Amino acid sequence: MSRERQSAILDAGITVASGPILVFSLYLLAAGHNQPGGGFAGGLVAGVAIVLAWAGGGTELVRRIVPLRASALMGVGLLISTLTALAPLVLDMGFLESGYIEFAVPLIGDVKLVSAVLFDIGVYLLVVGMSLALVRALGESGPATTESTEVSS
Amino acid sequence: MVALIVAHVVLATVLVLARTRVGRAAFAIGALGPAATLAYAIAFLPDVLDGETRTATVSWVPSLDLGFDLRLDAYGTVFLIVIGTAGLAIFLHATRYFAGTPKAATFAAEMTLFAGAMTGIVVSDHLLSVFVFWELTTITSYLLIGYSDHLARARSAALHAALVTGAGGLALLGGLVLLARESGTYLISEMDGALSAGPITTTAFALILVGAVTKSAQFPFHGWLPGAMAAPTPASAFLHSATIVKAGIFLVGKLGFLAVAVNDWWFPTVATIGFVTMALGGWAALRQTDLKLLLAYGTVSQLGFLFALIGSGDRNLAFGGLALLVAHAAFKASLFMTVGAIDKLTGTRDVRQLNELGRRQPALMWTAVAATASMAAFPLTFGFAAKEAVFDGLLELNGVLIAVATIASILTVAYSIRFLVGAFGPAAADAEPATAPDGTPWGLLAPASALAAVGIVLGVFPTLPKKLIDLSGASIPGEIDVKLAVWPGFVPALGFSLASLALGAVLALTPRLIGPIAACSQITPTADSLFASTVRRLISGADRISGTIQNGSLPAYLGTILIVAVGLPLTALWRIEALTVPGSGSLIELLIAVVIVAAIVGLMVVRRRFAAIILLGAVGYGLAGLFLVLGGADLAITQLLVETLVIGLFALVLRRLPAGFEKLSIQPVRLAVAVSVAAFVFVLGLGFGAAEPESTVSDGYLERSVPEAAGQNVVNVILVDFRGLDTLGEITVLGVAAIGAAGLVVPIIRSRREEA
Repeated sequence: MSRERQSAILDAGITVASGPILVFSLYLLAAGHNQPGGGFAGGLVAGVAIVLAWAGGGTELVRRIVPLRASALMGVGLLISTLTALAPLVLDMGFLESGYIEFAVPLIGDVKLVSAVLFDIGVYLLVVGMSLALVRALGESGPATTESTEVSS
Repeated sequence: MVALIVAHVVLATVLVLARTRVGRAAFAIGALGPAATLAYAIAFLPDVLDGETRTATVSWVPSLDLGFDLRLDAYGTVFLIVIGTAGLAIFLHATRYFAGTPKAATFAAEMTLFAGAMTGIVVSDHLLSVFVFWELTTITSYLLIGYSDHLARARSAALHAALVTGAGGLALLGGLVLLARESGTYLISEMDGALSAGPITTTAFALILVGAVTKSAQFPFHGWLPGAMAAPTPASAFLHSATIVKAGIFLVGKLGFLAVAVNDWWFPTVATIGFVTMALGGWAALRQTDLKLLLAYGTVSQLGFLFALIGSGDRNLAFGGLALLVAHAAFKASLFMTVGAIDKLTGTRDVRQLNELGRRQPALMWTAVAATASMAAFPLTFGFAAKEAVFDGLLELNGVLIAVATIASILTVAYSIRFLVGAFGPAAADAEPATAPDGTPWGLLAPASALAAVGIVLGVFPTLPKKLIDLSGASIPGEIDVKLAVWPGFVPALGFSLASLALGAVLALTPRLIGPIAACSQITPTADSLFASTVRRLISGADRISGTIQNGSLPAYLGTILIVAVGLPLTALWRIEALTVPGSGSLIELLIAVVIVAAIVGLMVVRRRFAAIILLGAVGYGLAGLFLVLGGADLAITQLLVETLVIGLFALVLRRLPAGFEKLSIQPVRLAVAVSVAAFVFVLGLGFGAAEPESTVSDGYLERSVPEAAGQNVVNVILVDFRGLDTLGEITVLGVAAIGAAGLVVPIIRSRREEA
């Protein structure tokens, strides 16, 4: 896995691919309430994109693609989910009770917005933050010990 | 009432925000809080004397039926007047006391907040709002006691108080919740008659008693109160006279008659705790040389008395106790302010150094004399009138109690006299006498004198507060047959009062008697050392336990987890009736199964880590394939993604590990654990395949998904809606785990880089 051995084409391909993968992760997040997907799956896809970005351009590229702090993403995610769970209490409803509104958008048609999606956004952000934190921590350049001489067998 | 509490919070906020600008006015601004409390109580007085109560409700969490339900009755009004009067005097005294102190504004803010919290306790009807304000007094008292935060003594005293009252607060919360469950209401005013005897009620009242005992510094938890002397004197005056320690008494008074009705043990317990505290406190006060400590132990003693009387649930005792509480608040606040003035003027509170202070400070001395007279229950003071009522009430009840009360009264008289002689008499022969200026500053003196005067005025006209105190006990069944009078006439109770005065004077003026008492006290363990050793044992015990459990061996952790995971559900295996291979048996399932098995076999024989990870991934992808074949699209997607991400992250880790595995010898224990886990999971898997429940949870979820949560993807709806609380917990764990992992990895990498 040492960086010298990688090919330029792979690097470029990965760099280009990670963007659309991130967009796809957002799609999964948005579609999740009615189709396969959801915040957790979406966040994992984004995590994969981040790992790919690291493989293509190291921590530098990761920073460019997701220019946010991992702890901030996790914190905001958890905060959104918690607030979504608590909000119904203020409106005299049960903890975590969800509500939805339906309205028509020109050209698109009927849109149903469910408050649970907000909760899912929190989950998404937290999973992305978790992936980012791990990639940043593990991917930090340090002395690699991949020498085969250390193999004892 | 709501505005009253909010006003305290607003005042405290203003003081903190404008702390650099308010200067000397800080405590004058803060004084508006207690002044408002007093004004409110007085304005309400005509109504309350007509037997009315006032209620207010602020909705908090309506879906949990949780709110600030406030209710002011005669009992609460007595406390409001005490808090307001003592608070107002002490704040005015503090204006002069803290003149020119940089941190004064912050301290004034804390005091104001504290006064507000105390007001909150008194007017709360809802058990949980009582608790909220209760804990608020714990927090603010922590700040007040730890004011001199550069001194280790002040910090540890503050911590001591916070730990003891905080622990008691937890017990209290448990008790209050149990009480509410048992009675079906959180409102104290609706609880009368709603309780029945039983183990839950007993537990509830026992826990509440623990809370009150710790808060009111009763034996054996009284140690924090003398320690709290580390606070500046005005704060001590407030803490000891009208507030925090009275909170516990307020609570036992409020709930005592409910407890007596269903628990036989309540009165004996409360009386024992109170009277033991009373005797011990008086004894300890007698041998102090620091005026403030003398008063502190005196407070412990008086509180014990009040605790037993007001918590007794007896109409007569509560009546006398409440009168005594009013007297105590006035004289104790006055005496603390006197000590504050002495300390400010001479720089010492040590009776051995104070020399002939009475000549230079006559006004201060007469203030102290008036206050002490009330403390010692000298005729023509309110302390006397109250104590006569108490003795009268005790006479009808129990001979032992009146004996202990008399002994404690003798001690009280003795330490009262020692206080006066120590403060204003000559210095000890071997000590360097302190010097003092002539005359007492008006700002320090006037509030103390005013409160001392209250004790005298009420003593001469004891009928003034009589009706209010009478009404305060109205919820307690029974008739009052004790008097609150300037002169009781020649009744038996008078004998006890006069005997106490005479014997107390003899004890105080005979140093030969005090010597042995002091020596005797040296050998008994103090509450302080008891607390210190308890804390020390707790910490060392926790150390030992975590040393055993958290031994740092990864194989031990993993082995423990696996053995428990296999061992606990082992009994479930017996309920399996038949073993079947799950799945439909189609060709594609078989194919995937073959791939998975091949990957696992490969996993065990490869030598290179990277190959192992790829094979592990193949197992995961195979499982995802099975999920897909069986119709679990969401599960398959998630499994696929997790597998992919894990491979990526593993690849990152692998950069830092040797490329191949070390050759390990096979260890029998580990092999046994591995095999038993495998066998267990295998049997369980085959067993579950056979079980066919009549209905599953998924049916219910499938039906409810669209109508209730407006989502067609039931898996997602379960995650974010039906089982949203689980998800919330899971993502919290996930976040914490990620932070933990990153926190473990980064320093290791950085230190390695520095080494390289």
